[in-house]
Amino acid sequence: MIGLYAIARGAPQEATGARGERVRILTRGNLEAVCGDPPPQLSADALRAHEAAVRRIADAAQACLPARFGSCAADEASLSAALAAREAELTEALALVRGREQMTLRVHGTIAGSPSAAGPGTRYLEARRRSRTLPELEPLRSALSGLIRAERVERHTEPGLLASVYHLIDRGGAQAYRQAVESTPLEGLRVTLSGPWPAWSFAPELAP
Amino acid sequence: MKKRARSEADEIIDRADASLLEIIDHVLNKGVMLQGEVILGVAGVDLVYLRLNALLCASDRLLPRREGK
Repeated sequence: MIGLYAIARGAPQEATGARGERVRILTRGNLEAVCGDPPPQLSADALRAHEAAVRRIADAAQACLPARFGSCAADEASLSAALAAREAELTEALALVRGREQMTLRVHGTIAGSPSAAGPGTRYLEARRRSRTLPELEPLRSALSGLIRAERVERHTEPGLLASVYHLIDRGGAQAYRQAVESTPLEGLRVTLSGPWPAWSFAPELAP
Repeated sequence: MKKRARSEADEIIDRADASLLEIIDHVLNKGVMLQGEVILGVAGVDLVYLRLNALLCASDRLLPRREGK
């Protein structure tokens, strides 16, 4: 069994895995799979160690798509086959994250319903559109416009937490990003910020 | 086995601070996944998933608030 830390481009040869092991790089075409020991039992420490290992790899690589905790393959042949099957998609994702890192925003609050004379169907569709694009974040988007290279919005259904917003920024831009977020008031919404992270939210899933 | 998995998940949730919460969300919910059944096969992962969103909801109380709000 092989554990997977990341799919990368220009991955470091000397990196250390979550359990202190030297990582191995399996090259398939123009993809590099950064591999190590099989995933350990789940624990808070194991999650932290996996995150730290991915971060070391991402910091030293030109481009890095992090692998979820627990990702593994039976052997090199099956890993290689999994990569080959998704090579185009992974190559495209690597190009997007190259030289970049991720900032994560948790958006708290509620979206005010827009007063509308339209019928229930139109109102429903409008509400859905707004919940996907979160127009309430526009002031933030314009403040960040010079920094954001890509955005993913994930809506949540729980009361209080409205959405998670993931932004890809150029490496080294985290401080400017943080300052822009902190100096942009949002009406009715509160935003908490974490990062920089490896580009967790911009990695495609390889599972069928 | 099931019981053990639950207690591991509970322990993680109980000890969760804001930064661990963020790590859980990124490391378990995002990223390249090679084999769906394998990640669920790591004991307790599914249980952590179940309760993660509820905790993230509370993260505005866990994470440090911005000054001057």
